[in-house]
Amino acid sequence: MKQHLGRQSGVQSVDVSLIDGKVDVVPKEDGQVDPAQLLKAVYDSGVTVAEMDITVRGKIRKDSLGNFALQVSPNQSLAIAPNDLLKTVEPLADSPAVVTVRGELYRKPAGKKKAAASAPLRLLILEVQKKE
Amino acid sequence: MNIRKLALLFLLGSVFVPVSQAQIKHIEMRVEGMT
Repeated sequence: MKQHLGRQSGVQSVDVSLIDGKVDVVPKEDGQVDPAQLLKAVYDSGVTVAEMDITVRGKIRKDSLGNFALQVSPNQSLAIAPNDLLKTVEPLADSPAVVTVRGELYRKPAGKKKAAASAPLRLLILEVQKKE
Repeated sequence: MNIRKLALLFLLGSVFVPVSQAQIKHIEMRVEGMT
């Protein structure tokens, strides 16, 4: 699995802990890594992902339907799931402000033995680390 | 000469700043079924 993940585009290093079942992925300097691709790569190596957390820096964007997203690069953005912490960064939507957040991007649905690797990813903000 | 240096700095800044402003910094996964 470590080799499989290490081969993915934008991945700098992978650390696997067999004891607690944790996998740490450090992206390259430009941070251009696709979390959905990593999720699929883990499934392809025969392992089930129970949870995926992410620390990400980007700009808050709001679309015409009122949905919020975190823009990570000009061509990559992560949909944000509504919660109380989203409300604290909502005023920064479509401004030049950059926020650093830690959040849950994926959690295996309860009661299902195997979840689909293609499940849509939504960022549930757990912590707002910095507003710039 | 100074204007050329300033123009070069501005050009480099406009190329590198957007990359440093936004990025995925870390991903952590908890997995099941690993032997």
